[in-house]
Amino acid sequence: MRLAKPLLVVLLGIAGGVYATNYSLWINGRSNTAQPGNHADFTYWGPASTAAGVNKKSVNWDGFNRVSDQNYRIRDALDCYCTGNNWCYIAAHSAGNLQIGYALSLYGGSARTKKNATPNSAGQCGNLDGTTQTGWNIKWVDVAAGAGGGSELANVGSWAVSDPLTSDLKTATARALYDHNQTRAKWFYMYAGASGTLYSAVLPGQDDEAVAYHSSGGVSGSGGASFCNPSDWFCNDLTLGTAANEGGSAKWNYHTVAFRDDAEALNHYTNGNWGGVVSKVRADMAANAN
Amino acid sequence: MNRRRSWWLGAGATVLAVVALGWYLWDRDTAPDSASAGPGRTPAANASGAGGNDPNSPVGGGSNGGPYSAAGLQSRQEQLALWRGRHERAEQTYATYRDATRYPYDSRPIAEHPDQVRPFAPIAEELKLRGANGEPVKGLRLRTTQERVFLSGAESVKFTVAAVDDSGNGLPLIIRNASAQSIPDSRTPIKVVQASVAFSDDGTGADDQAGDGVYSARITPATQGFAAYSGTIRLLAEVASDAQQGVAQFDVVYTPDVPATWAGVREALEAGSLNFYLKANVRMAGRYVVSARVDDANGVPFALLQFNDEVAAGSREFRLQVFGALVLDKNPAFPLRLRDVDGFLLIPDKFPDRATMARQSGIVYTSARYVRDQFSSAEWTSEERTRYLTEYGKDAETARRKVEELGGK
Repeated sequence: MRLAKPLLVVLLGIAGGVYATNYSLWINGRSNTAQPGNHADFTYWGPASTAAGVNKKSVNWDGFNRVSDQNYRIRDALDCYCTGNNWCYIAAHSAGNLQIGYALSLYGGSARTKKNATPNSAGQCGNLDGTTQTGWNIKWVDVAAGAGGGSELANVGSWAVSDPLTSDLKTATARALYDHNQTRAKWFYMYAGASGTLYSAVLPGQDDEAVAYHSSGGVSGSGGASFCNPSDWFCNDLTLGTAANEGGSAKWNYHTVAFRDDAEALNHYTNGNWGGVVSKVRADMAANAN
Repeated sequence: MNRRRSWWLGAGATVLAVVALGWYLWDRDTAPDSASAGPGRTPAANASGAGGNDPNSPVGGGSNGGPYSAAGLQSRQEQLALWRGRHERAEQTYATYRDATRYPYDSRPIAEHPDQVRPFAPIAEELKLRGANGEPVKGLRLRTTQERVFLSGAESVKFTVAAVDDSGNGLPLIIRNASAQSIPDSRTPIKVVQASVAFSDDGTGADDQAGDGVYSARITPATQGFAAYSGTIRLLAEVASDAQQGVAQFDVVYTPDVPATWAGVREALEAGSLNFYLKANVRMAGRYVVSARVDDANGVPFALLQFNDEVAAGSREFRLQVFGALVLDKNPAFPLRLRDVDGFLLIPDKFPDRATMARQSGIVYTSARYVRDQFSSAEWTSEERTRYLTEYGKDAETARRKVEELGGK
């Protein structure tokens, strides 16, 4: 009889579907034409057949409205796949950096109802067992061309559009939106591209044609600061890893520069084929989100 | 879940149950007691799922090469390199999480939050001036500050503008015109609110020093036509310098409602930690986010304390904790000084997403003096921390075993 009780627990656990699954969640940035809430629609990124991490899901917020009024899409997806016994790897692009940062900083300690990882057409999942947990189960976060620190293109109205999101992307607003250091001890691996030339007169230091290194490198403090590759002698270096940058500026806590585009080869845009600096994040997710 | 999937799940569960039974009966005498395993050192489990992850494919098999072929050896080396990378990352993730969560998330060394040390310092930025054609004007930059981004009720916000050359030397500046305007997010037509704004460099009003080339203005939305408006207010200042013209642009986010008002502070030493209780009269129930800084007796910034939880309406207290182990590790000089407190009601799924409480600038409260013996050295424990350490530890152990299997050390 000593064997019976633990054995019963094992069998009930298996029969009851209590198994752990890892997922890879992709959080898009600005201008998304995919269907919001459809986690199978990878239109924003590229061919859905491309390897991009275990059990990949496309979170699909609209990329148009404010971070705050679209953040429920991110929280819904996190609830779906990153609660109970399930764990998530996160990949974010551009304004998706603001979305996951906002969710973790402001809602990362809230009670989350455990979900069954089976979404409806709105991207919301059913309850697992009615119980809750504190926060989500997240292993780490990869960020391509992160706009967590905003973009000077939004400051000066270079994007000739009136989408509400552009207001959130102003450097002062993006940096005041939440405490970027509060990731609840989850690592943000920052991937920064530097092939930009088109807006080099507006974006300070090195950029990928949409965001400058101060944002894509997770640099703390005000926007507008210039950071470059080591080959540029007239501009402070964005350092790899967590170390302070040349000149002494710090990175946000739990942010580490995993890729700096010393070859100035990668721009901001996916081009519908996992392109630009997203290619580096995709490769990391395919290799390590397992 | 469709029937086909249910059938497969059911069949899978049965097979797994049989396998588990066999494993259990075979291994029950030698299996370690999982309850005695420390956090993060639980037995490994393969959590890999489907998803076309080529790096997870079997090693050395397939038609291209057996275990001893050149292709097989190369594949094995690639797998070893991959798993070494995963192992290094998993070990780092585990160790840094374990160390960071020695204190709770809401009671942190302030060094971890470098941009939160002086939260009320003006936001300073510098941009190239752009001319009428939209192109940047060479050698002419605008240096701007704004006091804050979010404000509520009767609060005001100050802005400054100055012109400098590429070396940072001041240039003459003229503010031709400035106005603040509501920026509706909705596509539904609504009445636009507009108010003129006066910048000056005469040492009066918002301006600190006459004739220093820094022009200042202050807007108070509640008294300038925005009292019934909630959303973005954009200030546009038309500027001219050195015969070049351009625009300085600022955004603030305003809500007329003040959700709660402060009503004092008390302290209590409880369970080996020092708790500051910030009293408030809460008008609007909901999730409140409150932050405060703690300096030691010498004015050295020491800790960032945060509160983030649901609060009911009425007379309430926000608990901000100075965690015992944090005190023992950092050894601040007492009494501690609580300063620069800010808070807001977080409104889910809306814009604006917050209604701010009045800022409490400067030293708000000074603690009593305590000695080290009164604080607990125990590290933080919680279900969340245990859950994370278990999972991160499992990942590290899985990767370590895989590296061993592949012939690495």
